[in-house]
Amino acid sequence: MRLAADSGLWSTGPGTTATPLAAVLEVSGAVLSWTIDDPPGEASAQITFTDVSRADWLWRILGESGHVALTSALASAADGLQSIELTGVGIVPGSVDPLRRLAIGHWLRRWWPASRQDGIAALDRALLDVEVALLTVGAQGFFTDDTLDSDVAELLAPHAAALITYVRSDDARIVDLVRAGAGIADEVGIEEIGWPELHAAIDDSSALATAKPAPPSGRRDDYALAAGSDAGLGRTGGGATIARGVASIKWSAVPPGIFDAAEATVEWGVEMAGTATTAVVRAAVIGPDPATGVAVQLRSGAIGSTGTLDADGRAILPLVDTQQRPLPEQAAWNHDWPATSVIIGAEISDVTESRETRERVRRLARLRLDQPGDDAFLAEILASESVY
Amino acid sequence: MRADSQVVMATAVGAAGHPRRSVIDQAWRAIGPGVEVLSGDDGGALTRTVKRIIDPLVLRLRSNPQYSAPVVNPDTAAAMHALIIGSGPQLRFAAAWFEALKLERRRQRIRTGNAQELYFPICFELAVTKGPPAPHDHQTAAAVLGDIHRGRDRTAIEVLREYVARPDIVAMLADQLDRSWRDVRAGESSEDLVGPFLAELSTVLGPANSHRAAAARQRVWSAVIADATPYNLGALARVHTAQLPWSIVKTGLTSVAPQRRPEISGGSDSDRPLDRSVVDRVRATLRRALDRDALPDIPLLCAEEVDRACAPWGLLAEDKQATLVAGIEIAVELAPLDRSVSSRYELAALIQARLRKEAYVMHARRYLADGGPIHPRQRQVVEDLAAYAQPYLSRLWARLHGRDVWQEPCDDVDDVRSLLEGVARSVSLDHRQRIKAMLELQVAG
Repeated sequence: MRLAADSGLWSTGPGTTATPLAAVLEVSGAVLSWTIDDPPGEASAQITFTDVSRADWLWRILGESGHVALTSALASAADGLQSIELTGVGIVPGSVDPLRRLAIGHWLRRWWPASRQDGIAALDRALLDVEVALLTVGAQGFFTDDTLDSDVAELLAPHAAALITYVRSDDARIVDLVRAGAGIADEVGIEEIGWPELHAAIDDSSALATAKPAPPSGRRDDYALAAGSDAGLGRTGGGATIARGVASIKWSAVPPGIFDAAEATVEWGVEMAGTATTAVVRAAVIGPDPATGVAVQLRSGAIGSTGTLDADGRAILPLVDTQQRPLPEQAAWNHDWPATSVIIGAEISDVTESRETRERVRRLARLRLDQPGDDAFLAEILASESVY
Repeated sequence: MRADSQVVMATAVGAAGHPRRSVIDQAWRAIGPGVEVLSGDDGGALTRTVKRIIDPLVLRLRSNPQYSAPVVNPDTAAAMHALIIGSGPQLRFAAAWFEALKLERRRQRIRTGNAQELYFPICFELAVTKGPPAPHDHQTAAAVLGDIHRGRDRTAIEVLREYVARPDIVAMLADQLDRSWRDVRAGESSEDLVGPFLAELSTVLGPANSHRAAAARQRVWSAVIADATPYNLGALARVHTAQLPWSIVKTGLTSVAPQRRPEISGGSDSDRPLDRSVVDRVRATLRRALDRDALPDIPLLCAEEVDRACAPWGLLAEDKQATLVAGIEIAVELAPLDRSVSSRYELAALIQARLRKEAYVMHARRYLADGGPIHPRQRQVVEDLAAYAQPYLSRLWARLHGRDVWQEPCDDVDDVRSLLEGVARSVSLDHRQRIKAMLELQVAG
């Protein structure tokens, strides 16, 4: 095994991947990461030691002698040393697989490219979070210190209401998962609303184990609901459109669970509202969260405007020039609009997140839906079965 | 050959020593059946079993620090193994008690607090004092849960409230406060109070990659503790703050400079460490005292806290004062979202590197855009992140205050360094959870 100095920390593995392609997991004393479309296996794991003395689990993946060799090599490493070659030390086959699966689960929670336009079904949040919580409990030996990823209660807490609708599902996979989740919730102590009712519903359904089958589960409703409003670009109710165009959203610039993850989902148009020149922007949303408050900017040479989106991803922006003066109609007609850019969310460079990267993620998502592997999450399998 | 291109060959063969957690795990498996509820899926001890039972109650790390090393030598490993195996019967009883408490928890529909976290130590205590739970004895379990969930600290806090409600007591404490506050003065002011001291600190907060360097670092730390500078700096903080190398306001230790004399109770509504009243400090001690058997009685605790509140940096012992000053030096160099920060101390650079990596995790999880908020709701929290020194020192001070009360030493340099690192870790986690929470606010609705 080869250790390399990396921004003041020691790490081993193929190197860190850029987001959104990196599935990461923060354990006690280290951050593990995988490139999501790499095949599983020991060689694909990148481990960065934030504090090797807190990584008391190392022997689980390197064996006892590997653990001791690594920690003593790091403790006696001279200043400025760039790399250390540890002979006879390697990752025990299979030992990091559960951690990779947990990292992928966290990645699915944040980056799954749900899109109506591309036909990539959304994943059920509650079921995904329950499964991630169960995997976290299984990996408790790696969480001696609390980390960003050790909190089981936090994963489960928001989902009582969603899970209660699944208690009587006729799908045994769902029922088993919900029961397992409720069992953990009982022990870790969750006081959020809905949990006593969920526990009661589970006790109740055990008493009536052979009762009538449940009503159809609500898991596709979110998606169907979101599919409702597919109207065209909103109008301010004024005159002719002076210019129009489309733009794409960079995923790293916005929170998940709001926008359709396809390309060219942002339509914009410039039109007159009375005597004011305005830009109308509409970003395709998919939910379940509202787009409220997300920043939007339009830039076109000396003309620009900034504002925030409403819940449905719309914004009406009064256009001004560099002196913050309103843009007269004549100037708007004379302006060269093709060089216009519309940015949703934070400003991210093309280098940080390219269209090709997003394509790669969509390919992976389609593959996972078409051929769910052994490591697929139930939420993925259900999404895959729901494709019609 | 340049050091940066050097390649070290190390080998796993013949490496002496055992990872401590693997020693515990092996001993645990040797106990055999009967401890399943305290074990993970793989049959090893749960992390919480180690943290709440094995470490504090079986290995008793406080009095046996040799058992806390990440890697232990074969003799120590054998001793640990023997201790754990020797406690096998109690551990089996503790497991039975945990089953009993869990059953009672379910019966009473209690859903507050983490059952393992709260019940594990008490289960072991019950195992030692009572043996296994008696069949059909629901009363003990019910009584224990009552104790835990009603809050054992509440009784003591109630006693405190009654004690300081008496005007004669408050007057007496105020008298003592007057005298103690006047007693603290900076010593002979030399030309350069901090220069030589900071040079020593850079050894303490610097690297040590050999036994010799580690021994030298320990010697320097002992000298730093014996040095009057931390005391004098703390004494200056209440008169001539201009002579301090940092602002006690900007670092969040007080809300005004110079530091004001603390009140017995009430007074300032600032929650800055050095602004807190004596009663607030005692209350904090009582809250943190859940796991302790022995607590000095309230009058003694209050009298001692008056002197502590008047001591430089609000800490009585020189090693705690020195640790706080070292912590201030570290804190002013930490900025999780700033790539451009350069550090004077190796330890600060290391902590900063960790904070950067943790910020990367937030980015990889789409909780932060590249270096900034990903949603306007997070702006305030992200700005708080820039003022890292304040929460860092607030938490460090609280930990040192606890050690000062319990007279736990800060004389071991490795222990002090891991304290300084641990505080950074928990402040960072706290910050990141807040950033995350701001983003997830709407999901719950």
